[in-house]
Amino acid sequence: MKARALSAMKPSTNGWTRREALKTCLCGMGAGLLYSLPSVFSRAIAAQDAASASRILVVLELSGGNDGLNTLVPYADDAYYRLRPKIGIRPNRLRRIDERYGFNPGMAGFERLFKDGRMAIVHGCGYAQPSFSHFTSMAYWHTGAPNSGEEYGWVGRLADAVDPGVTPNFLVNVEDSQSLAVRSHDHVPVVFDDPERFGRKGLHQERPLLDQIARLDGDENPSERYLLEVAQSAREASQLVREAWAKYKTPVDYGIVPLDLPKIASLIAAGMPTRLYYTAYRHNAFDTHVQQAELHRRLLTYVSDAVAGFMRDLERIGRADDVALMIFSEFGRRVPENTSLGTDHGTANHMYLVGKKVTGGHYGAPPSLAALDAGDNLVFTTDFRRVYATVIEGWLKAPSDKVLRGKFEPFPVFA
Amino acid sequence: MKALFAVVLAVALPALGAAPAAGPAEWRGDLSPISTGDWSAARAAHLLERAGFGGTPEEIAALAAMAPRDAVRQLVYYQSIEDGLPPFDESGIHDPGLEPFPASRPAATDLAKEKGESMGVKVKPEGNRRLQPVANKFFYWLRASRLETHRLAYWWANRMLLTRRPLQEKMALFWHGHFATSEEKVRDYRKMLRQNRLFRDKGTGNFRDLLIGVAQDPAMLAYLDAGVNVKGAPNENFAREIMELFTMGVGNYSERDIREAARAFTGWNFVDLDFTVSPDKHDAGVKRVLGSEGRFDGVDVIDVILSRPVTSEFVAGKIYRYFVRQDLSPELKAALGAKLRESHYEIAPLLETIFLSRDFYSPASVATRIKPPVDLVVSTYRKLGLKEIPGVPDFNDVTEMLGQKLFFPPTVAGWAQGRSWITPGLLLARGNFVYDVVYPDINFVPPDRYPSNDYKIREVNDKLAQGLDVTAATKPDAKDMTSMSMQMADRDEDFNTRLASYRGWQMAIEKVKPIPRATAQVDLPAMVLGAGCRSPREAVDYLLRRFLSVQVDASTQDRIAKFLESEIGTTDLSQARTYLDEPLRTTLHVILSLPEYQLG
Repeated sequence: MKARALSAMKPSTNGWTRREALKTCLCGMGAGLLYSLPSVFSRAIAAQDAASASRILVVLELSGGNDGLNTLVPYADDAYYRLRPKIGIRPNRLRRIDERYGFNPGMAGFERLFKDGRMAIVHGCGYAQPSFSHFTSMAYWHTGAPNSGEEYGWVGRLADAVDPGVTPNFLVNVEDSQSLAVRSHDHVPVVFDDPERFGRKGLHQERPLLDQIARLDGDENPSERYLLEVAQSAREASQLVREAWAKYKTPVDYGIVPLDLPKIASLIAAGMPTRLYYTAYRHNAFDTHVQQAELHRRLLTYVSDAVAGFMRDLERIGRADDVALMIFSEFGRRVPENTSLGTDHGTANHMYLVGKKVTGGHYGAPPSLAALDAGDNLVFTTDFRRVYATVIEGWLKAPSDKVLRGKFEPFPVFA
Repeated sequence: MKALFAVVLAVALPALGAAPAAGPAEWRGDLSPISTGDWSAARAAHLLERAGFGGTPEEIAALAAMAPRDAVRQLVYYQSIEDGLPPFDESGIHDPGLEPFPASRPAATDLAKEKGESMGVKVKPEGNRRLQPVANKFFYWLRASRLETHRLAYWWANRMLLTRRPLQEKMALFWHGHFATSEEKVRDYRKMLRQNRLFRDKGTGNFRDLLIGVAQDPAMLAYLDAGVNVKGAPNENFAREIMELFTMGVGNYSERDIREAARAFTGWNFVDLDFTVSPDKHDAGVKRVLGSEGRFDGVDVIDVILSRPVTSEFVAGKIYRYFVRQDLSPELKAALGAKLRESHYEIAPLLETIFLSRDFYSPASVATRIKPPVDLVVSTYRKLGLKEIPGVPDFNDVTEMLGQKLFFPPTVAGWAQGRSWITPGLLLARGNFVYDVVYPDINFVPPDRYPSNDYKIREVNDKLAQGLDVTAATKPDAKDMTSMSMQMADRDEDFNTRLASYRGWQMAIEKVKPIPRATAQVDLPAMVLGAGCRSPREAVDYLLRRFLSVQVDASTQDRIAKFLESEIGTTDLSQARTYLDEPLRTTLHVILSLPEYQLG
């Protein structure tokens, strides 16, 4: 039923119809075959694709469990209004993008990006046996390994796979503490928050001493070794980051909460060798249990403004062709509203891929609001790792099975 | 004269020539107590580093002179030691009209529209911006409570610095991270203070008492939305965090257990600073939680949770990882959990076991802990021998920058420990903190007077003084204004939000007492000369031992000594006495910027 309704939509720009796209994602056939080639062969393709060597992936995490149903509202579905009589957003207030969906009224930026064909929305992203704990679920998304004890982050493993030579500053995490997502076996991620303060104070005469870092001699305990490695990375990166930020001046308006996207734009503008950026809307901001309407709209406006600003800025810098942005949250929220005009922790959610090279449109099957699980939650339809595989294979042209510890079929978002 | 010198040397350099702190590798995982023969100054230093905020050579020597069991017991059973520290000196910013404080600015002004009054302020009957005083009062309290919380953090930090019961403050800090509650949401310093007292009074007592205290604590109830958890409409937030973060950890309960437990906590709420139960909002029906069934209330659920062995293991394991090290074997965890159960959740005996154990002094434990930011800052000041927390640099700005601002934990999960404290950016920031202590910034502006982070307040201030009308003075001057959020100016003509924000700040700094802004009072020449150091090499050696928990390699030590020598232009320290201060400050900055200084 759902599939038919969706297939009625307009064909996407690359000539694929919705029906075909859906078939692919639902049945694992068709274009999926293209992406399950032996990795030797795909590596050969990667070598030929010179353009992919300059491609950059930016991951934006919305922490706290963003309410997907009030972000992209399925306004044609009566069940939505039945389950959310008080906080459901009426169709006339939405920023409608087609005959089924409308963005939250605060999201002019996302509306524009979708209508310009620069945004892919992937429906129903989640995993089996979902955790309702922020911290556990986020750890699953960070490691790309739900219900396992994976030690490294998927972005960290991706860095190791794409860059076996361990290029300095290959992996940047703009945050106040290092995300598990970027934890890597070989790479030391460059982690900073404020570029202006990412530098060492010190008098001229003490500089040589401050910059000299003890060599590892194998006698250190693991904590000491870690500190020495981080010190090395700090010394290598801090000057570059500071200079990039000092040089960067943009006329682009990123809104009231630009997140860390201008910082990333400054590094891209400065030509840093970084191919993987990771950043977050921090501190569980999206955990909207109580009186959520106004707060949630504001949060979404900030995100939407910042992302739209980032895309305009990349255009200005001349790197819009080289950057793709992926947006996710650790879970969606319970479908029925709670009695405090908010929502509780839920399951499946949308993911967004944004960029000039993105084939815009809908991907994946929207979970049914009429067939919730025992806990009133959406049943996921898309393993979120398929979206990871999409950026790894489709965008970065690297094999994904080793990074993701299994085969996940990419979507044809980067055709 | 010579004899006197020798005595000074012995007191001042307890670690010199002593055995290293770490015992044999076999001690790892061994909870049996160390013997008197195993005791040394280096181990006493390790104990003070973990059970407190580090020690001066004098404090270490005093502890080293005791038997290890007595030393540990003195730290753990501190009740007979006078602390003699003053209570928090409140500014007096609160008035009864503020209660109950509205949830948001719209809630405050809507209430005023409806009732003609809000937060004790009446709506103007006529004229322009009739609700302006109401909006002002709302922002006044937000800002005043925040600034007062910053003073509260100073008060607490001074306790950590000066206390003779260091473990009491350290445990309070541990519980603050465990039962994380933030002023960001609570918006009432009085509740934060009350909770802080709870952690101090019950922090080493019985975990059940503490847990019930926290579950009935107004700050926690406000933080986890207890007010909306009512009969027929349970809100899961509180019940979930109790099970997941406070007692058992994920994987040890079902979603159904959470929903049932939430029912037991219905009706729990607070009025101003008091815990209340509303019988009409409490669900008195039968609940089934973790296999037990009954007409449970919140305390009953807590008792069901405490009866599970996994709870004792979770709590004991977390205490262990905080004080000893991150990696904890399942066997050790089970043993520690059993210990806590046997003592019926008394925390002090568990701490005694941990601090006396061979495991605590094994190479896996000693000097492997990355100091959390508050530990780093307070222990640096303590080792410098300071008698008060400096006002410059600002303690709250420094700790926030380093990732651990007191009373403002980032999420309900508190602060992640271990390696997550260190990133390239944060490692540099830690060195910069030391720079700001030894070379106080002359551009320093007190953040409790000057709205450093809010240029809009400063702009409104200036424009009003130039005679601009309120609309003109508060108009945002954004850049290309293409974003939606920049255009969301307040169109309500009943009041002006930007004006209220500015007036709120003004009213707040009138009431909130200023934080004293003395810089660090250090006398490094007296410190090193008093310790008997005669050459740059001895001074560097002394400082390394006084401040670091690990031995740095000989070549680093050599380079720093040569640096100091070239700065003072002689190898005779006493000859340089009159100008020794600045070279020693630079040297200390170099030493405390070593990555190794982050280990405690």
